[in-house]
Amino acid sequence: MTDENTDVIQGTLDMLILKTVSLEPMHGFGIARRVEQVSRGVFKINPGSLLTALQRLERAGWLGSEWRQTENARRAKYYTLTRAGKKQLEQETADWARRSGAVTRLLKAEA
Amino acid sequence: MAGWRSLFHGLRNLLQPGKRQRDVADEVEQYYEEAAAALRERGISAEEARRAVRVESGTMLAAREQAHSYGWENAVSAFFADLRFAARQLAKHRAFTLTATLTLALGIGANAAIFTAIDSILLAPLPYNNPDRLAVLATRYSHIGETMQRVTGPDGVDVREQAKSLESVSLYTGGEEGVQLRDRATYTEVTWVDENFARVFQLQPIAGRLFTDTESHRAALVSEQFARDNFGSAQAALGQALHIESEAIEIAGVLPGAFHYPRKTEVWEVFSLQPESKSRTAFNYRAVAMLRNGASFKTAQTELDSLSQRLQAAYPEDNRNKQILAVPLAEALTGNARPTLMLLWGTVCIILLIACVNVIHLQLVRSMERQREMAIRKALGSSRWQAMRPVILESLLLAMLGCAAGILLAVPAVRMLVAMAPKELPRAGEIHLNGWVLAFTAGISVLTALIASILPAMRAAKVNAADAMKQDASRGMGRKGAATLRDGLVVAEVAATFVLAVAAALLLRTMTTLTTNDLGFAARQMLVVDADNPAHTEDDYRTVLRQFDEIFAKLQTIPGVEHVAGVMGLPMGPYGSNGNYTARGGLPVDPHNKPWAIFSVASAGYFQTMGITLKRGRDFNAQDTYDNPPVAVISESTAKQSFGGIDPIGKQIQCGLDSDKWMTVVGVVGDIRQDSPAEKPGPALYMPMAQHPHYANQIHIVLRTKVKPLTLMNIVQARIAQTNPRIAMRFTTMDALVNESITTERFRAVLISLFAGAGLLLAMLGVYGTMAYTVAQRTFEIGLRMAFGANRSVILRGILRHAATLACCGIAAGLVLSLALGRLVAAMLVGVRPTDPVSLGAAALLLLLTALAAATAPGWKATHIDPLKALRTE
Repeated sequence: MTDENTDVIQGTLDMLILKTVSLEPMHGFGIARRVEQVSRGVFKINPGSLLTALQRLERAGWLGSEWRQTENARRAKYYTLTRAGKKQLEQETADWARRSGAVTRLLKAEA
Repeated sequence: MAGWRSLFHGLRNLLQPGKRQRDVADEVEQYYEEAAAALRERGISAEEARRAVRVESGTMLAAREQAHSYGWENAVSAFFADLRFAARQLAKHRAFTLTATLTLALGIGANAAIFTAIDSILLAPLPYNNPDRLAVLATRYSHIGETMQRVTGPDGVDVREQAKSLESVSLYTGGEEGVQLRDRATYTEVTWVDENFARVFQLQPIAGRLFTDTESHRAALVSEQFARDNFGSAQAALGQALHIESEAIEIAGVLPGAFHYPRKTEVWEVFSLQPESKSRTAFNYRAVAMLRNGASFKTAQTELDSLSQRLQAAYPEDNRNKQILAVPLAEALTGNARPTLMLLWGTVCIILLIACVNVIHLQLVRSMERQREMAIRKALGSSRWQAMRPVILESLLLAMLGCAAGILLAVPAVRMLVAMAPKELPRAGEIHLNGWVLAFTAGISVLTALIASILPAMRAAKVNAADAMKQDASRGMGRKGAATLRDGLVVAEVAATFVLAVAAALLLRTMTTLTTNDLGFAARQMLVVDADNPAHTEDDYRTVLRQFDEIFAKLQTIPGVEHVAGVMGLPMGPYGSNGNYTARGGLPVDPHNKPWAIFSVASAGYFQTMGITLKRGRDFNAQDTYDNPPVAVISESTAKQSFGGIDPIGKQIQCGLDSDKWMTVVGVVGDIRQDSPAEKPGPALYMPMAQHPHYANQIHIVLRTKVKPLTLMNIVQARIAQTNPRIAMRFTTMDALVNESITTERFRAVLISLFAGAGLLLAMLGVYGTMAYTVAQRTFEIGLRMAFGANRSVILRGILRHAATLACCGIAAGLVLSLALGRLVAAMLVGVRPTDPVSLGAAALLLLLTALAAATAPGWKATHIDPLKALRTE
């Protein structure tokens, strides 16, 4: 274990989930694994937070869900991106790009 | 949109709590399985993989808890869980729950019942069209500050013609009259109204038509009930004739069933817009008015003020100091009932407060018992609010139980209230439970719950875990604060009950005064017949006099009858007259302040029949005929006020009853109380029936009997009908009339006594509760003292002394309160003052005895504590 910070940046968890699910329907662990892999281990999602976030997104109408068989023949809850979720993702992505660009510029200017 | 979805998800989860739980558990489990499987793929053993996942992601249980706690519905189910817990607690402590529920039910039920009356009488709109725009005209004499809801004819016409803010004004007059139908005669409330009456109330007849001022012959409207009772149906009544005072009147229309204004009128006869009486000092009429749309009572009054001033300038003699007022109809109808209702409301509020104190008390005792539970909750880290919540929820549940029981109690209470209501209580028929009352009751119940729980809840929240665990009240190591608080509550309870007891004592003493007051006549064994012999022409009146003389003679011969006489102006009766008079040969008279007296017209033998003592001179006799010189008999007060020490016999007196002829005083009789036993005996002027025939056709026949008065009813009725079957008759007894005249006082006295009794019961419970609890807490200490040889009587005395001290503190506080509140009831008292030492003393003694009685059982129990057992406990 390293003592590097693997917490997801505050407020970006929703965006990461929406983005991940936008590729294909996925279950909870699938989402966590994908976020970890793609971020090369920078972000690790705690299952409690993840499942809470999934419930929240579902209630917001951005995710749909259904129970299906996994390849291991295990029942799992698969999440899909809804139309509203897609819109939300676009909005959050644009917002993120704007903010991170600004932060990067600030950091560079200081250096 | 998202809010709806969240609501929907939450509700679904609430409805299927098991499914959600399974789904979340399943999802979490699947997550961990997949995670472990992924590790195993990298060649780690199954056991190792599971441990690695736990290290990385925390335990499955924690994840499940976290996922599970999402959503608003969790707060709801937590609330319901607490509620269920509270309900289980209440079910377990059955004695506590029952006592608290009954206590609250008493307080809440009494409030619901009285509020029902207040709502129906004072708050509900009057059952007329545009009730907010209806007004009654009143006349006020500003120099003496007296207001009467009457006007004189000419003043009324001036208001009708000049006041622009009043859309229509109607004059009316009336009372109970004999009405002759084709085959019989009946007594009914008859009102003479002008054609504007229907405009003021915006009446629509259900059959026939309204009347106009230019009726060719006399016409009347009748109520639906009257039409149905006497003619079969509204349609059948149209065009039929009825006779009032020998005049044929045609029924022109029928008014809808609900309308009976004023009082219980069933027949409205038209009279001219130009009133008969042209005097500006004879208040012969009442008047109702409707405000113009948009006009307020304030603008109407401003206009009436300037009109009154113009009239004062135009008629300086008659209208001196006279002011015309527009009073809202609702206020005019219910104004008199307001003080009584407010007194009752104040009383039931005190009852509710006492009930609250009792519940606080019970709660506190319970919270002492559950200090350890609280301490454990605290030690486990529950917040202030979490510690308070179970107490508040229990209170709420109790209040709901109390509310339900209170409403069950209020239903018969309201019925009893209506049955007991004095005749003068306005709108008594309209009293009923409704949604407002239920809402009010629910409201006060919640309020009660909050009041009763706030103290115990705060104490619960303050519990210090470490202290509470150490403390053990059963070892005599209770906290001082708790005992002081409980004692304070008992003192408050006793003080409030004392106030109620004093009020009850004062009202009961008023009743005693009223029932034992010397009326100036004997009310026992006296049959009263209301007799209305129709007359119209001068000849009719002569005939009526002759017929009544014949009737008196006939009735005199009935076995069991001692004396018979007739009178217009019977004490406690519906008819009567009064006014100013002039006397010659007596004391000098101030022309602006003429002497005043009650005017009665009586037959010979009236004083003897009534038991009014003849002090000087003679009674009327057969020589006092219409053609002989007029005579009068005066009461002692009249003699004193007009003649002082001079002998009034033979002096001259004049009054404006029907003629201004001078009458010779031939006798002086004792004073009587005319309107009610509450009234002071005052000046009266009696005139013989034979000389005032216009006041001698609608009279009371009074019979002094040797047997039960009402047993003679049938034979008396038959004898009168023999002489003239068209005489309308109604029977009652003097006792009943006297009783009716004090129903308001009795109503108050009975209700307040009932409430005081309830208060006493609650206070007794409170004292008993405290003492029993104290004894239970001190069992160990008392056992120890007894083991060291303490005397039983010492123990008992200690406990009684404690109760007596509390009662005395409460009585002292109550005394201060009673003296402060006394003036509120002063107006309702007769013959007793609010500071009456007998009432105060009786209340004090009663409370002291109650407190001691309540403490006796716990005290006795304390003296029977077995020292060995007490010490061996635990």
